[in-house]
Amino acid sequence: MVNTLFHIFIFPGFLFACVSGLAAEYIDRKLYAKMQNRIGPPWFQPVADCIKLFAKEVIIPQQADSRIFTFVPVLAFAAVLTSFFYIPLWNVKTLSSFNGDLIVVLYLLTIPTLTFFLGGWYARSVFSMIGAARSIIQLFAYEIPLFISILAVAMLADTLSLSEITVFYSKHLWLILINLPGFVVAIIALIGKLEKAPFDTPEAETEIVAGSFTEYSGRPLAFFKLAIDMELVAGSSLLAAIFLPFGLNIHPVPGFMLYLIKVLFVVALISVSRTIFARLRIDQMINFCWKYVAPIAFLQLVLDLFVKGLIR
Amino acid sequence: MSNYDFIVPIGPQHPALKEPETFLLMMSGEKIKGMNVRLGYNHRGIEKACEGQTYIQDLYLIERVCGICSHSHASCFAQAVEEIAGLELPKRALYIRTLIGELERIHSHLLWLGVAGHEIGFDTLLMYTWRDREIVMDILALLTGNRVNYSINTIGGVRRDITTEQIPQILKAIDTLEERTKYYAKVATEDTTITARLSGIGLLSHDNVLKLGVVGPTARASGVKRDVRKDDPYAAYGEIDFNVITDDHCDVYGRTLVRVGELMESYKIIRQVLAKLPEGPITVKAPRKIPVGQAVSRYEAPRGEDLHYVKSNGTDKPDRVKVRAPTLANVQAVAEMLKDRYLADMPIVVAAIDPCFSCTDRMTSISTADKDDKTFMSWPKLRTYSIEWYSRQGVDFSDLNKKFKAPGI
Amino acid sequence: MSNEDNIKQQLIEKFSALSDKIIVKRARRIFAEVSLADFPQVFDFAIKKLNFSILTAITGLDEGTVFGVIYHLSTENGIMLNLHTTTPRDNPLINTVTNYFPAADAYERELVDLLGIPVEGLPQGNRYPLPDSWPANQYPLRKDWKGQMPVNKEESK
Repeated sequence: MVNTLFHIFIFPGFLFACVSGLAAEYIDRKLYAKMQNRIGPPWFQPVADCIKLFAKEVIIPQQADSRIFTFVPVLAFAAVLTSFFYIPLWNVKTLSSFNGDLIVVLYLLTIPTLTFFLGGWYARSVFSMIGAARSIIQLFAYEIPLFISILAVAMLADTLSLSEITVFYSKHLWLILINLPGFVVAIIALIGKLEKAPFDTPEAETEIVAGSFTEYSGRPLAFFKLAIDMELVAGSSLLAAIFLPFGLNIHPVPGFMLYLIKVLFVVALISVSRTIFARLRIDQMINFCWKYVAPIAFLQLVLDLFVKGLIR
Repeated sequence: MSNYDFIVPIGPQHPALKEPETFLLMMSGEKIKGMNVRLGYNHRGIEKACEGQTYIQDLYLIERVCGICSHSHASCFAQAVEEIAGLELPKRALYIRTLIGELERIHSHLLWLGVAGHEIGFDTLLMYTWRDREIVMDILALLTGNRVNYSINTIGGVRRDITTEQIPQILKAIDTLEERTKYYAKVATEDTTITARLSGIGLLSHDNVLKLGVVGPTARASGVKRDVRKDDPYAAYGEIDFNVITDDHCDVYGRTLVRVGELMESYKIIRQVLAKLPEGPITVKAPRKIPVGQAVSRYEAPRGEDLHYVKSNGTDKPDRVKVRAPTLANVQAVAEMLKDRYLADMPIVVAAIDPCFSCTDRMTSISTADKDDKTFMSWPKLRTYSIEWYSRQGVDFSDLNKKFKAPGI
Repeated sequence: MSNEDNIKQQLIEKFSALSDKIIVKRARRIFAEVSLADFPQVFDFAIKKLNFSILTAITGLDEGTVFGVIYHLSTENGIMLNLHTTTPRDNPLINTVTNYFPAADAYERELVDLLGIPVEGLPQGNRYPLPDSWPANQYPLRKDWKGQMPVNKEESK
């Protein structure tokens, strides 16, 4: 019982998720700044931002639906937190696993995008409605390639449970190389899911002020920001578990270090992409995803089918 | 204007706009179906104010029409007054005016590159170009004492001379900037996301440029070869060899290329100015009372053609001063450029005309806390109001001269 | 003969009334006084036959008994023709030139707002540059307007 509570609240639950989320945000912002020839924020900046937001007044627009407005950030936060329980971090064991939990995790990581849509839509201001619409439209572009590339990997391992996938690949390490195109697709899709440049059009500051988050302030905004930060870590951990499942059975401490390095690697890739790309328009983004990213995902699927046939 | 579903208000306050104007976009989905432009938020009544001040005081007022084209406006005004008074400026003054004018152009174009990057979501370009802008501002501070609003003009010449020690510093800065500008030119033309966001946006055909009276880099990007420095030479431009950069793309991408090209030309011009800088005085004595007359003066500001009309009546105050800033000519083309485009293109299209709405407008209307009560204040009343307001906060203006004693005064 | 003198000659040939009203101040600057009645033809001639294809600005002036309006035209190579016309102060009215230059819209609205010269034929649109709540019959650029305005309610701080 105590063990479970420890897992839920400390590791890999609430405390670990929050701390790692804030740390990931710091690393992202620091890398971004250094690449732009600036100094960047100090290490406690994300924590300070969080605390400041919690202390601010919550202003809800008159025409907004205040119940949905205040509920959806908490929903996003809870969804991302729950996904941590199923993702193998440095070990093949997770807090709980069952066949099909891969689908559950993918679904849980889609819930934040739906909450951005609902929050923006029910705030009923012009800018947030446009941002909400863009969030959902973007969902159609990146979600399918993401799902296909991940499911291709799962199909090769013949199981839909995350921990069993990692067990399988730990035994056949060379198969990781087969999945590299899928890794590229998944990173691009993750950038879209996290709404970072070049896919940050739902939150385009110079066009629609802040998109879905325009009317948010105070505690609801803090929850949204925390959810996004944790989604960064959860997404990176998911990608690390699926596409880079090596070194999972070694001693916990170096194993944990290895896990941190993998997550850092994905976060660094996302920061670099933020620095070197301009923001794509929504139509350009959809064009790009369906013309180039989706075919590679399908290619990965076909490749994995082929290899599966070979090793049987 | 076809049917639209909703209106997106861009302005008066919006992150895309650096200064307040209202562009009401009638939208249907992501497409802009129509536009309602409202200007005038920055109107400060400068033309009226000029009539009540002497010519020298007006020079300071005109300089503050805009922060980043301040030298353009001041030079243009000084030129008009000097023409009425029949003053022949010493060559050195003209060359120094040209030098500062070109440094201002570099400053403005680097700023624009950064703003354009920011509008398309590419903050890296913003950070890099604004870092380089610091180099220009340091040079300007070295030469004139201020980073913006250089105040180097006077009626009859310039106020400060440049020394021989300053010249190598300027040349070194220009060398660094030229290298960096070459890099930006490469980035702007080769980066896929930038070209994707800038190409095909804000199209303005050659004929529309002529019809709508567009000026500056916005016009030159549509192949219209119009530059006041060549068409109506002023200051030292008649003696300097440079090219007018035009481009045929007719879109925002073309405007970017034109501005980067103009940066390279500016470096060329500055080097020539410094090499040919003649010796001599930097000012002639200007009369306090300007004889009766009128003059029209034109200047190529970084944003386009700036026009000043001055009419004098023989006293020491002008009878009429008219300022036509380049952005007023360009902003009327924005509606044309945004026809049937997407909302996402709106910030970069407005930014591409390099809007300086402070130049464009030039009313103090005070709304008191009670929403329906609007009173208008005259200027003496406004001054008393502000002094009393500050004294309630504990700031006593009559004491300032004693508190902040400038050294040497 | 220089370009400017050439232009002056052509104008005088076409409109004899202008014979002593055109001055070539210096290179690229021609000033002409045109009566309001003759103005449309002179304007049309300058644009269509003399290649003055650019309208750079319209200046309004308060000249005491009349309002002056100056149209600053320019050719592509920098020669400026400044046409000065007048309209009586007690009943001012000028015709729009937006049929030649759509961009003249903003310049003419300045005349309407700041000097109170109505412009006939100006298309519908927002006023510029004064705000919508500006009181009527207050024209800031007139010489007799000193910045004191009647207030709606009692003067408050």
